Amino acid sequence: MRLGNSNMRAIIVDDEDLARGIVREFLAPYPDVEVVAECSNGFDAVKAIAELKPDLVFLDIQMPKLNGFEVLDLLDVKPRVIFVTAYDSYAIKAFEVNAIDYLLKPFSRDRFEKALLRGTAPGGDGPPDAISNLIRTTRSLNPPLERILVRDGSRVHVIPAPMVDYIEAQDDYVSIHSGGKKYLKLERLAELETALDAKRFVRIHRSHIINIERLVRLETYAKESRIVVLNDGTKLPVSRSGYEKLKELL
Amino acid sequence: MHPILRDRRTLALYLLAWLAPGLMLAALLATTAKASWTGAVCFSLPAMVVYAFMSLSAWYVCRAFPLQGTNLAKTLSSLFFAALLSSALWFLACFAWASGLEWMEPGLAPRERYQDSLPLLASFGVGLFLIAAAVHYLIESLESGRRTERNALELRVLARDAELRALRAQIDPHFLFNSLNSISALTSTDSAAARTMTLMLADFLRLSMNYGALDVIRLEQEIGLVLRFLDIEKVRFGNRLTVKTEIAEGTLSAQVPPLLLQPLVENAVNHGIAGLPEGGLLLLRTEMHGASLRITIRNPVDPQRINPRGTGKGLHIVRQRLERMYGSGGSLDIQETGGDFVALLTLPIHS
Repeated sequence: MRLGNSNMRAIIVDDEDLARGIVREFLAPYPDVEVVAECSNGFDAVKAIAELKPDLVFLDIQMPKLNGFEVLDLLDVKPRVIFVTAYDSYAIKAFEVNAIDYLLKPFSRDRFEKALLRGTAPGGDGPPDAISNLIRTTRSLNPPLERILVRDGSRVHVIPAPMVDYIEAQDDYVSIHSGGKKYLKLERLAELETALDAKRFVRIHRSHIINIERLVRLETYAKESRIVVLNDGTKLPVSRSGYEKLKELL
Repeated sequence: MHPILRDRRTLALYLLAWLAPGLMLAALLATTAKASWTGAVCFSLPAMVVYAFMSLSAWYVCRAFPLQGTNLAKTLSSLFFAALLSSALWFLACFAWASGLEWMEPGLAPRERYQDSLPLLASFGVGLFLIAAAVHYLIESLESGRRTERNALELRVLARDAELRALRAQIDPHFLFNSLNSISALTSTDSAAARTMTLMLADFLRLSMNYGALDVIRLEQEIGLVLRFLDIEKVRFGNRLTVKTEIAEGTLSAQVPPLLLQPLVENAVNHGIAGLPEGGLLLLRTEMHGASLRITIRNPVDPQRINPRGTGKGLHIVRQRLERMYGSGGSLDIQETGGDFVALLTLPIHS
């Protein structure tokens, strides 16, 4: 059986050997789908997808280190994905909300082929923002964000939320400062702001979010000119609305 | 709170009941002490109201000396002593009241006459106190009956609740569907292994349903169940899951509530081993420690993990069941150090 004119490169991500085996088996009748990698954990998956840029990824949700959603969050270019999960009411809710197809283990060959055809059809990856929306949905179903993941080439940094000192907006990126180090992540500051714990993180300015526990003092120079000083000596400007938010929290 | 003071209606009824001895005392005083009827009533009724309140203290004696389980002679002597004491106090109060009456209305109730009525007042005091004590014992026994009934009902509801939860908990859907997926994968590659897995799964489900319906099982049975579960998980996780058991002799025949270990072992796999790419060793150890049974489950965890939803729910259920079965005698201690997670279950053993 052939799916189209060109060959497709696929990656299978699942922490169970047998579960990867059944996807491989069901793919066997399709000579134009080539399995270029199999990954058994989230870190390997991020690395393989970023390096090999596959056309299609079979992605399990519950995995060691990073779950399926976190893997996608770390990829700047989102691949086409067929989600595979055994039972995860939150994941399923997120799929339903965003009208994304998924395979429930165990699945039949028929069901698998349906998902494959849909996943490989031109324009079959749904609305262009589907994956980003999905990530946002899963975050909102599971608040607040407990750790921030940053990819640096093929390395993945896991920064627990309490370890974050402050976050700065830089064009399309955010720069996350933690323990004297700086991590760049492709993300909008406003999005991160809604995902983080509002009791701990305050947007003090259009381009800054601080961890309130790092705050040492608030200095006022003029009526509308204030800055905060963090415990590492960093000075950041505070806007009027940021000042209101700070006052409320302190 | 005192059962009679709890609501106004009961208190009103109680005071009303004291009207009878009040009138009786007035009649006796009017005849024996030759007091005027008005004087006798003016003296007796307030005195009885005072004594009615004093007699409420009989409740504390009743509580201190319940009828069941204490020495009857000791109870009776304490009651009698309390009766004497309160009657003496009451007599002093009566004396003061008589003086007061005389001061307010000289000649209405000459004080000396009441002083002469000491034996009468004393026997009234003692007798009435003892009657009050009897009434309190009656109330107490009625209330304790009602309490026992309510407790029994509550316990039944809780037991049903635990049973339902245990039933729901014992078949973790994630476990079930993943196992079925393993079977589905094995059917084409290794049909014999697929059959073995099917039988193991059937065995596990049947046993957990059977055990779940019992009140207690032998530890040997529980461990057998848990090992079956782990055998199934080994098919899924391959060499990522290693199991080691250290079972002390003499622990196997201990009686334990069914499916108490199961959720702990499930946690160890789902939140421990499953979160580690290289997997790890799950240790199950049982030992006797004095009169209690200690069960340890140790497994590695990813220190960077985020606590998935539902963690702690299994532990909560185990703690609840322990408390219902053993009160404060059983415990579940959780320790996490570095990458090591240890659950220590302690159960009292009744031989």
